[in-house]
Amino acid sequence: MQQGKSSSSGSEMQVTWEDQQNINTFSRLNNRFHELEDDIKFAKEKCDNLEDAGNELILSDEEMVRFQIGEVFAHMPREEVETKIEEMKEATFKSLEKLQQEKESIVSQMAELKKVLYAKFKDSINLEED
Amino acid sequence: AQMSSSSPSGSGGDDLSERRGIPAAKFIQDVETYLSQSGFDSNSALAFHQERLQQYKVVEMKLLAQQRDLQAKIPDIEKCLEVVATLEARKGTGEVELGCALILTACFKTFSLKDLISMLACEIEHVVSQNIVLASLEESTETSLRVSLLADFEVSEGIYSRACIEDTDSVCLWLGANVMLEYSCEEATALLKNNLENAKASLEVLVADLQFLRDQVTVTQVTIARIYNFDVHQRRVNQVTPTAIAAADA
Repeated sequence: MQQGKSSSSGSEMQVTWEDQQNINTFSRLNNRFHELEDDIKFAKEKCDNLEDAGNELILSDEEMVRFQIGEVFAHMPREEVETKIEEMKEATFKSLEKLQQEKESIVSQMAELKKVLYAKFKDSINLEED
Repeated sequence: AQMSSSSPSGSGGDDLSERRGIPAAKFIQDVETYLSQSGFDSNSALAFHQERLQQYKVVEMKLLAQQRDLQAKIPDIEKCLEVVATLEARKGTGEVELGCALILTACFKTFSLKDLISMLACEIEHVVSQNIVLASLEESTETSLRVSLLADFEVSEGIYSRACIEDTDSVCLWLGANVMLEYSCEEATALLKNNLENAKASLEVLVADLQFLRDQVTVTQVTIARIYNFDVHQRRVNQVTPTAIAAADA
């Protein structure tokens, strides 16, 4: 799972505590970035599913709809189900937005750190995905 | 963190020397100083740090497993809360409902004729008893059977059954270890909320532990690379032909 921090052989490059902390931060950000990508994928799927459910609901004309709560399907009147789906859609959409914002901020922070670290270490450090 | 310049091993100041049993990896200011002061030569220093790295990895696996468990537990508790909330919300709004039916959906199992007959016999009995209830209800002026929720639940894979859930003030919660306890709806909600809070708090602590651990892993990896480079550099300086080795694997 390494995002490489290999150094090329030979150079006696001094690594200060500040450099180490930068590297640590970069590693943390990178991990968080991958977690966020998974979370975003999951949230997008959920959004799509809710969208499909909403559409199906419109197409069907049953009065009582079976709505999943926990492990069981509860019989609910249609309007209630519609409302619930709308609420869930909004909540999921909001959380998706938040996740995407966090991801963007992380990407820019990582770019900053890359600049700093490459400036100091040039070829001695590898910060790319392998 | 303040650099403790008086530290003899030439290491930088750490915020923590350990966290919940995980030792911190000391940052080395200068490799040469470190090697001469610790009495290590390059190889034994490398071996020491490699072993440390392995130990960190073992702990990381354990923490990741715990994290996965918690991350599965939290949605479970939230689902339970939702069910209790739904039951509470629908109290007193239900209509009198009659006739629960056993529904076989998408069931491809073939039954022996005997089994089928006995299943249907049960079903008929069931319907007959419902009819009796219906008759007595029609007679009485008070309807005592108020159902707040009709729910289809999975009996077995592909087989669902319908449950009429009456208005109720209490629910049963599965506490684990084959123990199920009845609670009033309010108590159940409070208990579940408490469990949820605890689980979320534990998860936060766990995530912080993992971050700390990963930092130590990174420091150790960089240390290994630096010792390795120093060693190569030394060999060159001492004009010993270095073996062509690829850079230390990060």
